[in-house]
Order: sequence, then C-alpha cells, then structure tokens
Amino acid sequence: MKVVGTNVDKIDAFKLARGEPVFTDDFTRPGMLYAKVLRSPHAHARIVNVEAAAALARDGVVDVVWHRDVKAVPHTRAGQSHPEPSPYDTVIMPAKARFIGDRVAIVVAETLAQAEAALKHIAVEYEVLPALTDMDASLADTTNLIHETADPRGISEAGRTNVAARIDKQVGDVDAALQTCDLVVERTYHLPRVQASHIEPHVAIAWIDEDRRLIVRTSTQVPFHLRRILARILELTEADIRVIKPRVGGGFGDKQEMVMEDLVAVMALRTGRPVRLEFTREEELIAARYRHPQRITMTTGVMKDGTIVANRMDVMADTGAYGSHALTVQGNTGQKVLPMYPAQNIHFKVTCVYSNNPNSGAFRGYGAPQGCFALESHIDEVARELGMDRLELRRRNHIRLGDTDPLSAQLGEGKAGLVRIIRSTGLEKAIELGCEAIGWGTVPPPTAPHLKRGLGLALAMQGSGIAGVDWGAATVKLNDDGSVNLFVGATDIGQGSDTVLAQLCAEELGIPYDKVLILSSDTDLTPFDVGAYASSTTYVSGGAVVKAARLLREQLTAVLAPRWECDPADITLSAGQVTGPDGKCMTTAELALFALYDAKIQPMATASHMSDESPPPFAAQFADVEVDPETGQVYVRRFVSAVDCGTPVHPRLVEGQIEGAVAQALGYALMEEVLVDRAGKVLNPNFLDYKIPSALDMPEMTTILVETDEPSGPFGAKAAGEVPIDGPAPAIANAICDAVGIRMYRLPATSERVWRGLKEETP
Amino acid sequence: MWELREYRYAASPAEAVALLRQGPGRGAYIAGGTDMLLFPPDCDFVVDVNRAGIGGIGETPAGDLLLGAAATLQELARHELVTGFAGGAIARAASHCGNRPVRTTATVGGNLCNALPSADMAPVLLALDAHCYIADEDSQESVPLQDFFVGPRQTVLGDRLLVGLVLPAAAHDRRCCGRKLTRAAEDISLVQVEVALGIADGRIDAARIALGAVAPVPLRANLAEGLLTGVACDDITDDVLADTAAVAAGECDPISDHRAGGEYRRDMVRVLTRRLLATALGREDLS
Amino acid sequence: MKIDLVLNGREVTWDIAPGQTLLAALRDHQVYSAKRGCETGDCGSCTVLCDDQPVNTCMVPAAAVHGRRLTTLEGLLGDELMVTLQREMVERGGIQCGYCTPGMLISFYALLKENGRPSNEEIRESLTGNLCRCTGYVKPVEAVLAVVKERDQTGGQAE
Repeated sequence: MKVVGTNVDKIDAFKLARGEPVFTDDFTRPGMLYAKVLRSPHAHARIVNVEAAAALARDGVVDVVWHRDVKAVPHTRAGQSHPEPSPYDTVIMPAKARFIGDRVAIVVAETLAQAEAALKHIAVEYEVLPALTDMDASLADTTNLIHETADPRGISEAGRTNVAARIDKQVGDVDAALQTCDLVVERTYHLPRVQASHIEPHVAIAWIDEDRRLIVRTSTQVPFHLRRILARILELTEADIRVIKPRVGGGFGDKQEMVMEDLVAVMALRTGRPVRLEFTREEELIAARYRHPQRITMTTGVMKDGTIVANRMDVMADTGAYGSHALTVQGNTGQKVLPMYPAQNIHFKVTCVYSNNPNSGAFRGYGAPQGCFALESHIDEVARELGMDRLELRRRNHIRLGDTDPLSAQLGEGKAGLVRIIRSTGLEKAIELGCEAIGWGTVPPPTAPHLKRGLGLALAMQGSGIAGVDWGAATVKLNDDGSVNLFVGATDIGQGSDTVLAQLCAEELGIPYDKVLILSSDTDLTPFDVGAYASSTTYVSGGAVVKAARLLREQLTAVLAPRWECDPADITLSAGQVTGPDGKCMTTAELALFALYDAKIQPMATASHMSDESPPPFAAQFADVEVDPETGQVYVRRFVSAVDCGTPVHPRLVEGQIEGAVAQALGYALMEEVLVDRAGKVLNPNFLDYKIPSALDMPEMTTILVETDEPSGPFGAKAAGEVPIDGPAPAIANAICDAVGIRMYRLPATSERVWRGLKEETP
Repeated sequence: MWELREYRYAASPAEAVALLRQGPGRGAYIAGGTDMLLFPPDCDFVVDVNRAGIGGIGETPAGDLLLGAAATLQELARHELVTGFAGGAIARAASHCGNRPVRTTATVGGNLCNALPSADMAPVLLALDAHCYIADEDSQESVPLQDFFVGPRQTVLGDRLLVGLVLPAAAHDRRCCGRKLTRAAEDISLVQVEVALGIADGRIDAARIALGAVAPVPLRANLAEGLLTGVACDDITDDVLADTAAVAAGECDPISDHRAGGEYRRDMVRVLTRRLLATALGREDLS
Repeated sequence: MKIDLVLNGREVTWDIAPGQTLLAALRDHQVYSAKRGCETGDCGSCTVLCDDQPVNTCMVPAAAVHGRRLTTLEGLLGDELMVTLQREMVERGGIQCGYCTPGMLISFYALLKENGRPSNEEIRESLTGNLCRCTGYVKPVEAVLAVVKERDQTGGQAE
C-alpha cells in the first residue's frame, strides 16, 4: 500500500496552523443579527406569559420570540437516522420549562451587547411546578409528569410515567445460574455527569439567500440529519434548506444533535436577516449535553476456576429534561461492554428516567465508558474475592477470534440487531504488549517515601459504526490534471476524516494523496452520510469512498482499453502512473485529458456503503498511579494504551485519537463533574470550576498500535475514535486499589473522595 | 458585555484617587483585571492604574523589598530581587498563580485588593510580614498585611489606593515553604499553607504559618506559631510538629462548598502544615 | 472611545466600548486567530502577544491596550521561529481540530523567546493556559521538543 498506513500531512493542518478564518464564527454577512437565549431559572415551570415590550423598545433590538410565536412540532433533537430511536418530546420553544436553563425566549439585536442587555428587560410569568431532580424520585412519581403528552411514536412512557427508556434483555437465565456459582459478587458503581467541553462552543449562523432558501452554517457532526429535522419542524422541505459545515473545533458527540440551529433558523426566517448564535461556556455547561450519569449494579457469578458463568448489569440512568439518546446510549452501556466476557448467562437491564436536571446526550464512548468502568472495576473485585490474579481472570474469560456476541442480536438501536462475530482481534497481543510496556507484575518504587504506588488495567471494545443502520456515500470526479474532487457527506470534526478518506481514495485509485481534493459535509454538494458518530467514518464512509474510487478506476480502464487494444483488467493505476501490457504507459493526467477531450466523458462515480457488521476495535489500557494517603491525591505517572483498530489508515492520527481519548478519560476519572444541586442548578458552569486536564495533568504516555486485518473494513481498517476512552477510568481506579487498597465506586476519584475512602477503611 | 460608561487612565496615585472620587456614579480601580473580569462589578467607570507609577520592584538600602502594587505576577516570578528574597518564596508563589497569560497582566496588588479568601499571594506575604502602603489624595498610610483584610472581598481600603508592599529585611533569610492543594495541576486553591521560619543560633526567632482559602480572610495561625517561637530546633520533635500542625488546623474556619468540604480542608491544613514545617527545617522533602 | 495601538506592526485606531474585551475588539476587526472558548481566562484559545508577552484577550479590557503593541498569529506568519513551530506541529500531528492551535502557537513562541531550551516539564508548564480537548497535549509537546532540538543543532539562541 502506498498511501494507507502512512503519516501524510493532515489535509487541513496548514490552514489551521496559520490561523485562517475557517471556523463557523470566522464569518459575517451584511445585516447579521445576534441572538441570545433567555433561559429558565426554574427547573420545572409553565411559561405562562412573556412580556417583551420593554426589550423591544430598546436600541437595536429587532425581535423577541417565545412559544406563542412558534409552531410546536414534536421532534427529537438527536442526530440519528430516521426514524430516530429517541422520543419526540421536544418542540422549538417549549410551553413548559423542564430544567434550569431551558429556553424561554430568543432575542435578536443588531449587536451582541444589545441582545445580552435586552434579556434583563423581558418579563416572564411562570407557574412553578415541583421539580424532580433525583432519579429515583422521578421514577417513583407517576403524577408529576415531566412530559405530560404521550410520545407520538410510543418510544417512551410520556403521559404515563417519567421513564424515557427501558431495556430488559437476557441470554440464558442469570438468576438460575447464580445459584450454581462458587462465588457471587455484587457491587454498585456511580458515574457522574461530565461535559464534552470541545473548545469551540456550539455556534451557528443562518440566513435566507437570493433564491429564498434557508442556509445554515454550523459547527455540527450531523449536517444531513440536521437538514431533515429542520425541514420537519419549520414545515419546509429539504430542498428549501442547505446545511454547510466549516471546520469544527471538536464535537465528541455533543454536536451529534440539533442543540441550537433551530433557533437561528427560526429567527432568520422571521426577520429575513442573517442570525448568529454562539453559546457561552456557561451555556455549554448548562444547556448542551452531558454524558449520562448512571448507577450501575453488577452481579457476577463465577466458578472457583475463574469461569464467569453469569453476569448481570442493572443500569439506572438520568437523561435530564429531554430524551435524546436516552435509549441508545444506555443500550450501548451493555451492548458494547458485556460482550467482552461471553458468559452463558447475561442479563442487561436499563431504566432511564427523565428528570428536571439539564440534559444528557451523546459523548464519545456513548454509554460504554460508564459500563466499562463498572465492569472492569468489578472484574478486579471478583478477582480479589476469588483470590485470583486480575489479569489471569480476564485472560480466562475474554472474547476471542470467532466468538459470537449473542447480546448484540437482541439489541439494535431500538430494534433487533444483528449477531456479531469477531473476525479480527488483536486483544491478546494488545494485552501482551501493554503488559510489557507498563512492566505489569512489578510495581515500581514510589517516587517519594510518603506515596503509595500501584498498577491497574482495563480491557475495552467498542464498534465500528452501527450495523445495519449507519451508511454514507461518496462521489469522485476526475479533473484534467489527474486530480480528483472527492465529495463526501462524512463529517470532519477535527479528527481528520477528510485526511483519512482522501488517503483511501488515493490508495484505491492509484494516485498520489495530494491529488485528492476533498469537499465534505455540504448538503447541496455532497452525497448523504449519517455523520460523525458511532466511530463510523473510517469504516463506513471509508467503505463508500473505496467503492466509488473503484468504480472510477473501472471507468478509466474501460475508456483506455480500446485505445491500448487490451482488456481493461490488464491496465493498472498506481502512484499517478497508468501501465498496460507491452510496456505501454502514461500518467494519470494524460489519461484524464484523453477521457475528457478524446472520449468526451466526465469520469465520475458515486457509491453508497452500509455494513451489516460493526467489528469491534479492542484496547488494553494500563495505569501506573501514585496515591498520597494523607491528602488522597492521585498522580497518574504513566499510562499505556495498546489498541487494535485493524489497519491504521493514518497511524499518527490514530495515536492522536488515543492520546486525546486518554486525556478526556483521565478527566472523567479524577477531576470532572458537573455539579447539580437539589434544585437542579449547575454549580460550576465554567472552566474555573469544571476542571478539564491541562498539559501538566498528563502522565507519560505510551501508545501501541496493534495491527490486525478486518475483512469487512476498507483496507482492513476498523474504528479508533471511541474505544480508547473506555479503559482509562477503570484502569486508574484499579491502580488506586492496588496502591492503597480501597475501591473507588464513585467517579471522579477526587482527592477528597480518596481521603474519605481511606478514613472509612481504617478504624 | 460589561456595561461600563467610561474607562479612565491615571498617571499617578493621587490622580487615581481623585478620578475615583470624582464620579459620577460608582467607580473601581483596575490593574490587570483578571479577577475583575471574571465577575465584572456593577460600576459606572473604572480607573486604570497600570500607568500610575506603582509597578516598580526595588529595595531600600536596609534591604527591605519593595513591590509596587501594579507589579505583575510574571514580574514577581522573574525579578532577581524577588527571586533572591527568602529563598525565592514570593517568586515561587507568583509563578503558581493562574497560568502564564494570566500572570502577564495580573498584579500582586489586584490579587490582594480583590481579597478572595483564596488570594494566592496573601499567605506568602503574610508569612514574610508584609506591610501595605495605601495612598489617599495627599497622604499615605502603612498597614500590616494581616490587618488589611476585613472579610471576603473586603479590605480596609475604602476608596483609597494600594500603591505598594514592603517586605522587611528581617524576613530576607527566613526559610520558606508553601503549598496549594488543588483539584488539578492548575487551579484555584482549595487550601493554601505557607510557612516561614527565621532561625538564629539554632533557635526559631520567627515562626510564621499563613493559611489561605480556609477562613473568610487569609490569616496567620498565631497560636500554632507560638508553639515554635523561641524553641531550639533540636527540641522540635515530630510530636511538636504534629501538635503545631493540629493547633494550626484548629485556627482556621473552612467552609464546605462545591470545591471541597470543610472537614477535608481542615485536615489538609494539618497535613500540609506539618510537612511544610518539616521541609523548612530540612528534615523532609515535599515532592 | 478611541484607542491607538500597534497591531502586527501597523499603527491603528480603534473605536471601542469602554467595557469591551480585547478579544471582542480583535474579532470585530477581523483578527480571527484569537478565538472565544471560555471567557474566564482558562482555555487560552484567545491568546495573543501584548508587548511580546502572552495575554488572554478575553480577560483584558480593550481599553487597557491603548498605546501598546499587539502581535497576533497573523502578524507572525513570516517569522522564522513561528514557521518552524508550525511546520513541526503539522509534521508531528500536533493539530487535530485546530481551534486551540493559534493560542498554543503563541504560547510556544513566547516560551521559546524567553527560554531557548525548555525541558519537557517546562513546556507543559507553559501550556497550563492552553486547554486542548483533542490531542492530550502529547504531540504538541513533541513538536516543541523537536524545534528545540533543531535550534540546538543549527546553533539557534534564546533571545
């Protein structure tokens, strides 16, 4: 392979390094208005009346809108394939506020300062209702309903209970099996709210163009889903709307949602002027989305020899005020995690409730980090009680090549899924190489006499796209000079998919990487793609790119064959050269000229790709930590990730994904928590008090790529973006336990929590 | 946006005070503004004191260290007079305050005048017996730093201007050690402890234990200090250190908030005080 | 009110509001390399140089830079050290989404001007004011170490 597997320059790196104005907000249009959202101070309240006269009288204020002004078309904001497996429980402007921060009104003004100032002059009459901010209380309450109207598609229990999603799937009979086990271990784990905290906030600009079409320029992961949702709720059609995605400053799932584009669209349509809205960091931490907080009870039955016979995962989750991703994130918690140890009896149960807390949604890992924390912490607990080595217990039970994963047949995204067979796995190699790199089995001496040191590990698996659901398309068009335009709907959000897809195209077409000009994520110009989520871009969108490139290659060999008087199969394209029998050759550029001007055709091909498989990437991750037993502070000294993502199309980009994921997971493990008080108010909505890791918090990192060859993936590739975020938190918790003997059942393991844990363990 | 009507510049301390008093409406002094812009005060105008000639760093012939109120934290972190005073304790404290871009504009005066209970520079300056020079329109007053703070975000200033700090030469050779307990590598303090020991003829002639973020104001643990003052170093056993630390922990009054609990903070005062004293005495090395 | 300043070598006069931040003023004047990320001086995506030192423009009143000299990434595109930093960042994979990149480059540039041979620890220390959510800081730090090594070999000096 000439291009796949090499570390080419990231296709957008130079303009990013020069600080070129390529992000959504680096843009303005004449007459642009600035929007601000008035947000509810109450966690649960009917919005009885909004009096905007005083605001409208102010300089520069152009319009104020509330629920009386906007038609209520129920929908979900979740960026998922139609029909979405999330409840249609949302409208653009709600008649009832359901969390502190919910939308009450939108103001647009000539300047941002004028819009901000106008907020204080809008008078709102609320009818305050009792708020349910505790998930158990919400589950128990069937009279105080957060969503009173029945969900039109029957996905949740709106109108009857506060349950947003339930799952109850079983393979075998866990209760019966537990009776036969030598040891049963049951523990409960608590996962907090954390926020993706992409450095670029949510931001969108909408305007009506000269053809009276609605144009939306936005930092999104899901341009096509966005277009579809906007069309429905604004009572337009997709033809009336164009969504353009510029460079995106990180998404991590938080932009797999129509978080706020409907607001700019509504105001652009009403005023006829361009409208811009950018979330403040405070709004990001209150009104964007969180990783679902969960309480997970693990019940595991093992035999003396370490065989896991029965495994139950019981999840209680809080989706907040609205249910986007409620079913699917929680589904992933079991589906992506439990298959790591294929037991004869597996029971996976979920209760996901609404509450009057701010919303949860998609965040990298999508339910798997929570489940992996519980499972991988629990395996260490089982090993401890069994008196077995933690690594040995894993080795005896983990999934292997050729194994099937029966749980996946029962779970799809709300419908029956497809049975998964493991056709590639580097897990054993990853464990071996990771152990070697961390020095498993020998804890290094502490760096200071008052510190305690320990090692921990965790195994993880994820998926590559959603089997049978995710799909994408690509179009390749040849130019006179042998370059191609590659049009993909697939969404580069900073992870480098434009680069990887260009590599795949170049490899398949036999042209140099720098001859591929990629244009992505413009709903007018590029073919459909579900968007950047579920680790689908390399594996699924890449599959479409390879197919389209292959079709183009076939067109080219077919047009040249008569001229060269040979069979098209005897013509090879490689590295910009075209070679045929009897030493015939020309450059791709010459072939292009021939096709366009001699044969008078435009070589161009489109292909779509969907996979019935979602081959899991695997990771073995290891933490070396020190704990200060007097202060409870935890220092991660070294961290090793060994990851199997099939063929790494761009090894350095894969490493970058792993390193960034480990940093996010380190935050999850040690310092990140969105604190919401009993009234439903976020106490730390800024980076002063919502701490994400800085360069000084990072350990010495070792990243190992374990190559396997996935038969169903483009050039053998699987996904890489999510799997490395699953393992670090349990690996760190396991290392803390190794160091000081206490189990952190609750994240984040702040110094105070560790201190308290140590105090409670000692008399 | 911060709705300010006017931004004024002062070219001297007297002018600054006059501009503030002039009105109309309410005014505030601004130096670096890094604390201020976090939660902008509701005022009509500000008086910028960055060019009022109060930014210098110097020393008196007697060896007292002079810090202009508008000296930036970056300047404090680097200036040779500051790095050479008390083993560089003030420079060290300044270099751990905020992050590099914040330190370019944040000033020592601003940090003290904002008077957060967690003001990063307060403990080390308390431990080194700083005095504050406060300017009125035509007069100046000196106040010990330990009398400067009245309550959270409240000082004795009124509408006068803090123009500088003096660190007495007597503190120059104190052995100092300080630590901030934080949630992440760069963070506001949950607990801050600074100790400074003056040792002469094998005896403690000055013991200072200054605490931050554990009371309504930064404060000195006077009772704990008393346990060490005049004591021969050889008589300071591990038990004495442990007792001193326990007494210091009893002298603070930490709140429980979303950052940390009061019980934890109090215990951390005990743990850090003991370790820092041991380090200052050369017995341990705090990593 | 009006302020005079030197922006990337050119004398300019800006019309600003007294309470406006330097970040807002920069973006109003199409200096887009300074980006909005947090408004609390934590993320550093708004970092530029003021009289050669890095500042968080979201936390500096525009009025405060009256009479000062600002240098942004746009003004350093021809600077040899900056070009070297950019090249290493690209080649080492130090750029993913690129949103924190201008602020990071400014911080690195300021560091290398102050300290020609920073250690790994000193580089990471200088980065505490630049939050990145994509890279885990690994490759950006490697990029700076590569620049340091390169300058060592070509006899580059700290200034």
